[in-house]
Amino acid sequence: MELNLNIIKKVLHQRYPFLMVDKIVEFEKRKRIVGIKNVSINEPFFTGHFPEKKIMPGALISEAMAQTGAMLFYDEKKKDNPIHYLYSIKARFLHPVVPGDTLQIEAAPIKVTKDAGIIKTEATVEGKTVARGEFAFKAEP
Amino acid sequence: MAKIDMQNLEKEIKSIVAEITEIEPEKIALEASFIEDLGMDSMMALEILASIEKKYKLKIPEENLMKITNLKQTVELVSSFLNK
Repeated sequence: MELNLNIIKKVLHQRYPFLMVDKIVEFEKRKRIVGIKNVSINEPFFTGHFPEKKIMPGALISEAMAQTGAMLFYDEKKKDNPIHYLYSIKARFLHPVVPGDTLQIEAAPIKVTKDAGIIKTEATVEGKTVARGEFAFKAEP
Repeated sequence: MAKIDMQNLEKEIKSIVAEITEIEPEKIALEASFIEDLGMDSMMALEILASIEKKYKLKIPEENLMKITNLKQTVELVSSFLNK
């Protein structure tokens, strides 16, 4: 199942320039998700990171991974989706992500309760793993 | 079924708690309160539960989170699931 941007914006409260999921290409509720983030030269952060060498900050790759992970909990029956607050991150950044790359981010839950969760995610560019990590977050309305 | 080595189990769980709370294992007493004495919150308890599930290949339902109050209770919780 795919989820389009309208649905993404219902679940995620982030907006420009901080919405870091363009579309969801695979979705099994609370089981597995694959999201896409196209990294354009026009991203505002490339202006300063770095002026002489454009590299997507690891902190923002983490943000894209966390946002994709939060989409795991999309429930079409729910009207109000909570804000997911990040609690902890354990991540590795293995290769630089540069303008023109398409980040494919896969996420799956490790442990989920009614208002919190721990997920694991992996980000790839053209099949090569660029980052992976574990994220814990708390959901609050 | 092999009998559980409680001493070893206690040591292993203490090291999980130490890693997540970032407190030296020697400073984690068996009955010290996770919340009051070690400054733990509900999310750390969830991380401990997830770590325990991974290490011992268990599935422990979320209602057991309330039992993660000190090392002694946590060891008892894990041993009860290992015995199932």
